[in-house]
Amino acid sequence: MTDSHHISRRDFIKLATIVGGGVIGTIIGIPGLVYLLDPALKSEQGETWISLGPLENFEIGKPTLVTFVRSRVNGWEKTSSSYGVFVLRKSETDVVVFSNLCTHLHCRVNWVEEKRAFVCPCHDAAFDIDGNVLGGPPPRPLDRYEGEHAKIEDGVIKILFKEG
Amino acid sequence: MWRKLYQWLEERLGLSDLYKSLLDRPEPKGNWWNTLGSASLFLFLMQGLTGIFLTVYYTPSPDHAYDSIQYIMTGVRFGWLIRGIHHWGASLMVLVVFIHMLRVFVTASYKYPRELTWLVGVGLLLLTLGMGFTGYLLPWNQKSYWATTVGTAIAGTAPFIGEFIMKALRGGSDLSALTLSRFFAAHIWILPGLLAALIGVHLYLIIKHGESAFPDKDD
Amino acid sequence: MNEEQKKAVLAKYQRALQKGERFWPDSLYKDLIVSMGLFLLLILLATFVGIPNEPKADPSDSSYIPKPEWYFLFLFKFLALYGQIPLLGKIEWIATVLIPSAVILGMILLPFLDQNPYRHYTRRVLALTIMAVFVVSMITLTMMADYPTAVDEQGHLTLPTWLQMIGGLLIPGATYLTLLVLAALAKKLGAAARRAQIGVAAISSVLMFGLAIAVMLVSPRPVVAESEVADTLAEKFALGADLYSIYCTECHGADGEVTVITGVEGLEGREIVAINNPDLMYTNSDETLANIIAYGLPSLGMPPFGKAYGGELGPSEIEYIVTFMRYSWDDRAELPADAAISSIPELAPGEIPSYEVHIAALTKRYCLSCHRPGKENNNYLMTSYEEIIGMSDNGPAIVAGDPNSLLLLLIQGQEQTDKNGDPIRAMPPNKLMDPKYIEMWKLWVLNGMPKTAEDARTLSPTPSP
Repeated sequence: MTDSHHISRRDFIKLATIVGGGVIGTIIGIPGLVYLLDPALKSEQGETWISLGPLENFEIGKPTLVTFVRSRVNGWEKTSSSYGVFVLRKSETDVVVFSNLCTHLHCRVNWVEEKRAFVCPCHDAAFDIDGNVLGGPPPRPLDRYEGEHAKIEDGVIKILFKEG
Repeated sequence: MWRKLYQWLEERLGLSDLYKSLLDRPEPKGNWWNTLGSASLFLFLMQGLTGIFLTVYYTPSPDHAYDSIQYIMTGVRFGWLIRGIHHWGASLMVLVVFIHMLRVFVTASYKYPRELTWLVGVGLLLLTLGMGFTGYLLPWNQKSYWATTVGTAIAGTAPFIGEFIMKALRGGSDLSALTLSRFFAAHIWILPGLLAALIGVHLYLIIKHGESAFPDKDD
Repeated sequence: MNEEQKKAVLAKYQRALQKGERFWPDSLYKDLIVSMGLFLLLILLATFVGIPNEPKADPSDSSYIPKPEWYFLFLFKFLALYGQIPLLGKIEWIATVLIPSAVILGMILLPFLDQNPYRHYTRRVLALTIMAVFVVSMITLTMMADYPTAVDEQGHLTLPTWLQMIGGLLIPGATYLTLLVLAALAKKLGAAARRAQIGVAAISSVLMFGLAIAVMLVSPRPVVAESEVADTLAEKFALGADLYSIYCTECHGADGEVTVITGVEGLEGREIVAINNPDLMYTNSDETLANIIAYGLPSLGMPPFGKAYGGELGPSEIEYIVTFMRYSWDDRAELPADAAISSIPELAPGEIPSYEVHIAALTKRYCLSCHRPGKENNNYLMTSYEEIIGMSDNGPAIVAGDPNSLLLLLIQGQEQTDKNGDPIRAMPPNKLMDPKYIEMWKLWVLNGMPKTAEDARTLSPTPSP
């Protein structure tokens, strides 16, 4: 290479070849990357109200597990997944709905009556009846459906369930 | 900084020798017909790349193959482009490899000292056709199913060993899930492996003997 | 090739290198330009031509005519023509194994078979003419591949088949022989033999192309039957809805609600389960539903619908019906908002309906269930435009411009009587169409029953822009 501003035919050809190769690489590379990462780039939306049953089905002061099944299309396959929530009726009208997913690594917690606690089978986490962490690794209390994500309509408890 | 890095690598890899023998080698005066070999290589690399991309979503089973390809075409961004390039690239590769072979025949480049290069080239042509044949079944649609039924039946007409060959190709006496998975294995592992190995030999021979010169009146 | 010749070849190559160039960048940049051109071509093909949509593989559908990839077509045609040769044609393996193997072996052995030390084309007439004829025969066989070989009623080959035999087998075969004979005579005849070889190759190539074109002109164009293929959920659902209304409504009702079958011969009064019942959807997987449709429930009176069991539906079509059922009646599965499309297009203000756009979709949904071949329908079929405007046992069902056409009265719920005084039921028999669709029919008949959207547009009082 010389310092002169004139480039020789050879250098020009070299440059053009490298640029050309780069162009092909980019034209296939970018769509290729989007193609590979596509599932992560898709926003999966969708909310539905799920009814958990009439209020009087639930015993006061004892969390009850309610499960429901939703099917979704993942790629070309329809999968039915089961989800669970704990419904705790605190008084005649006051209801709290917890997600049954442990806030640590999303294992499913169970209500153990003797201990009066939600116990996670994976890493021995425990939550009290209000969902607060009693022990173990979880970083925060159990998630609740509250505010605009839960309502009682005609005596039936409903939660706004986010799909995805 | 770059200079140091280069020197470090140079001492260990011998980059400049590699550059001299692979890239900076002398050649007879070039001709546009001589680009078809590299074009075949380019298409092979393109097929390899898009093929790897396709396997990310494709599922080789009769229950899912068709649906997974429909998903690639309509559900994945740029899926139509990746599959489109792979589909048309296959046709184009057969065409380019064939014309390349014709060019070698017409300029008689298969003669001394390049007999082996031709031999390996015949192998490459057959493997390319094999890739086309095995790839055709993978979408598991009507066209591919019935074309493969007939294609494998042709092998079955050979005397004595015909039925054996057909069963070996189909993985049984019928076209089934076994056929699909063995065609898939052949299409993504066995044949490309052989192709890549033979391409390596082909390229080595080209570098060893140099590209053939266009024949003139005295040749 | 002897040692001296080898040395000469190598020395000449060294001289060529002296006058030559470098691989990088002189050759590589040409390679790159060609590769970029091919790349551009691939992207254009993928974008603007795409990949034809094919229905899913159906091992039970043996009526499908298989066709290989285009680069195997020449072989395919060669086998078909070879099979027509008397006697020899029955020994299949000669064409399927022996000849292809011989050609491949010839290619492998080429550098050793071709002992001619020269490379310039003027000194390789035999090799080049044989290759030329071979390539021309590959091309012409490919050109003729779509046209079937056929025999007439007496069992003789038809004219196009003869042309194919001559152009595809006879001429190339005879040409190879002539070329080899001429090569053997070359010592005696000298340059004349070479000229003769070129002449023979040229003439037979022209003849082969001519015959291939003649075959394409003389043979009837092969018809390709196409079935509808859906590739998105929305299309599957819409096609499924149409198929459901053709094949299932008669017994199960428009919404799967029927519990006692009425008006179906042989099944009158039979009690069945309402198939829109969520329990049924919960307890049966898509696969089970598809199997029931394909195989039927013979003990309960449901006939098989799958082609494999004597019905009319392929696996893709059954899958569309199941998709329709699942998304209509299973409360766990919700159809994505963008998928809820109707296969019956709405009328724009002032638009006049046409057969192709509107009426065909309406008949599919409401009429074809019975008004197709093999059903009880007073010989009034509705599968095409010609059939709809044609005659039934009770005279013409519709007359252009006549608001009192039989069909229009029936679909408005007015029972009629035929010439024997027997009643004709209102149509569709179980439940009338949506009033807006009845209006669509009326508008269509009153405006002279246009067939295409184009015809309808010219009739339209306020032509849409």
